[in-house]
Amino acid sequence: MSPRTRHSLEFVLDNLVWFMLVFVLAVFSIFIPNFFQLGIFANIIEASSVLGVMSIGLALVIIAGHMDLSVESVAALSAMAVGIMFCSSGIGLGLQLHPDWLMVPVSLAIALAVGGIIGIINGFLIVRLKMSAFIITLASYIWVRGLVLVVSGGRSAQDLAPAIRWFGIQRLAGLPLTAWIAVSCFVVFSLILAKTPFGRHLVMIGGNETATFRAGIRVNRNLIIAFVLAGAIAGLAGWLLAIRTSGATANLGVGLLFNAFAAVVIGGVSLKGGVGTLPGVYAGVLLLSAINTAINLMGLPANFTQVIHGLLVLAAVLLDAFKQTIRQKLA
Amino acid sequence: MSEPLLVLDNVAKNYGAIQALRGISFSIRRGEVVALLGDNGAGKSTLVKIIAGGLEPTSGRMLFEGKEFLARSPAEAKAAGIETVYQDLSLCTNVDVVANFFMGREITRKVLGVPVLDERAMEAVVAKALANAGTRIPSLRTKVEHLSGGQRQAIELNRFVHWGGKLVLLDEPFAALGVEQTRRGLDMIRQVASQGIGVVIITHIMQQAFQVADRIVVIRQGVVAGDVARNKTSPDAVINMITGETLAGAGPAS
Repeated sequence: MSPRTRHSLEFVLDNLVWFMLVFVLAVFSIFIPNFFQLGIFANIIEASSVLGVMSIGLALVIIAGHMDLSVESVAALSAMAVGIMFCSSGIGLGLQLHPDWLMVPVSLAIALAVGGIIGIINGFLIVRLKMSAFIITLASYIWVRGLVLVVSGGRSAQDLAPAIRWFGIQRLAGLPLTAWIAVSCFVVFSLILAKTPFGRHLVMIGGNETATFRAGIRVNRNLIIAFVLAGAIAGLAGWLLAIRTSGATANLGVGLLFNAFAAVVIGGVSLKGGVGTLPGVYAGVLLLSAINTAINLMGLPANFTQVIHGLLVLAAVLLDAFKQTIRQKLA
Repeated sequence: MSEPLLVLDNVAKNYGAIQALRGISFSIRRGEVVALLGDNGAGKSTLVKIIAGGLEPTSGRMLFEGKEFLARSPAEAKAAGIETVYQDLSLCTNVDVVANFFMGREITRKVLGVPVLDERAMEAVVAKALANAGTRIPSLRTKVEHLSGGQRQAIELNRFVHWGGKLVLLDEPFAALGVEQTRRGLDMIRQVASQGIGVVIITHIMQQAFQVADRIVVIRQGVVAGDVARNKTSPDAVINMITGETLAGAGPAS
């Protein structure tokens, strides 16, 4: 095999999920009437913003060889915190700040702080006390959702302050600002993961934690940062969710965790750690979103989405095994 | 005689009621190669981990370059100039050769105040280091998982030769190497020592110890059972020290 064919084959394998996305979009465009229009594509991106942002944090900790099941509940708690403070009806307190735009940074800071604090708790218990990330974050998944129910009393907050809502309404090049926030998060964190020492260390910790520790990398510190980031990013997802629904309900975002896992796995991240890139995860998110949109357009009952998502995850895992065999032949 | 580089003074390590090290005392000079021998479970690897910062001793003290020394983490040991090659390789197989070579010491440049990996500079350094050592790896961008055991060990050995430091600890470094690569590895050790770096090599193979070491230290049941210059002993005498049949030449060298 010549170096060039080998090189292009590697390229295809590394970006397989993007090729899948293009293929799926092409098939939908051909076979589903009215699919091929800019508005539909914009809708796919828009509908995936919350899931996309949440998947970034999840992918970071999984790549570092751990796990964070709490992201969904954390997003709900952040959304509820923002909802209670800045919604004017339901359980909302209708807090007003002057000038109005001040509510944007304040609400965002609250959402990030709520997420970051839970991230610190998770990270501390997992890293310092050497407990299993699966169990610790499963506990957080449950108690944080419980906290949402406690603070809301099971009721909801509606009518988010217009100054914050503005991010969901104002459009730039056909996309609401919330979607741009998600896209820029992917760009920023992709660069951090691929180009900075911190990102490189996370990948290596996911690959062989003992080796990185022996090499003098501060493993514990890096891992705690990763959990705090995952929490804060989930907080951001919650902020976006509050904007999208103009408030918060006690069961907000239920089920998002499994979609986030699906996106991460479809995006080529290995649950064993050390493998995967964030652009791949974004392609996974868009793929899920494209399929949802297609199902809506075809008028199929929405219940089908879950069946298809499940099959897609299965296909992704099989594909990953297939990729491994090809790579072994390449080497 | 120059001042010793590292002095171990009665270093002990307990795991609960089990005494892995009962009090180890010996010293290493600059440019000296010390072979650490001992039966399985004698405490060699524990000792290496204590010097390298992976474990803390229960009691005893160490002097490094004449100063009191205790590494609480591998990072601290590295900062002091102690490099370690472990028997189970310390490579991240999910990243490429360059990333492994620079693990924890990446070259960066600032972009808008943010440190960014300088891949080109790192690749150039690795290419040069591997070429100097005569190691051939097709592409430095290959992930290590796709390389052979020998190539992996070569990366690890070249890494310590390149970074050097002041003291190098090698825990059975040639376990996966062929005859020719082992010979080259032993040459590397002599070359490193000739630069004034102290080397401690753990090995099971008597022949290797006699080929490369200036001094042979035998550990048995957590204590030093023998500490002799290579040219004043013989493989048979050393084997007797390991198994405990004689105590000829025992005790730390004065």
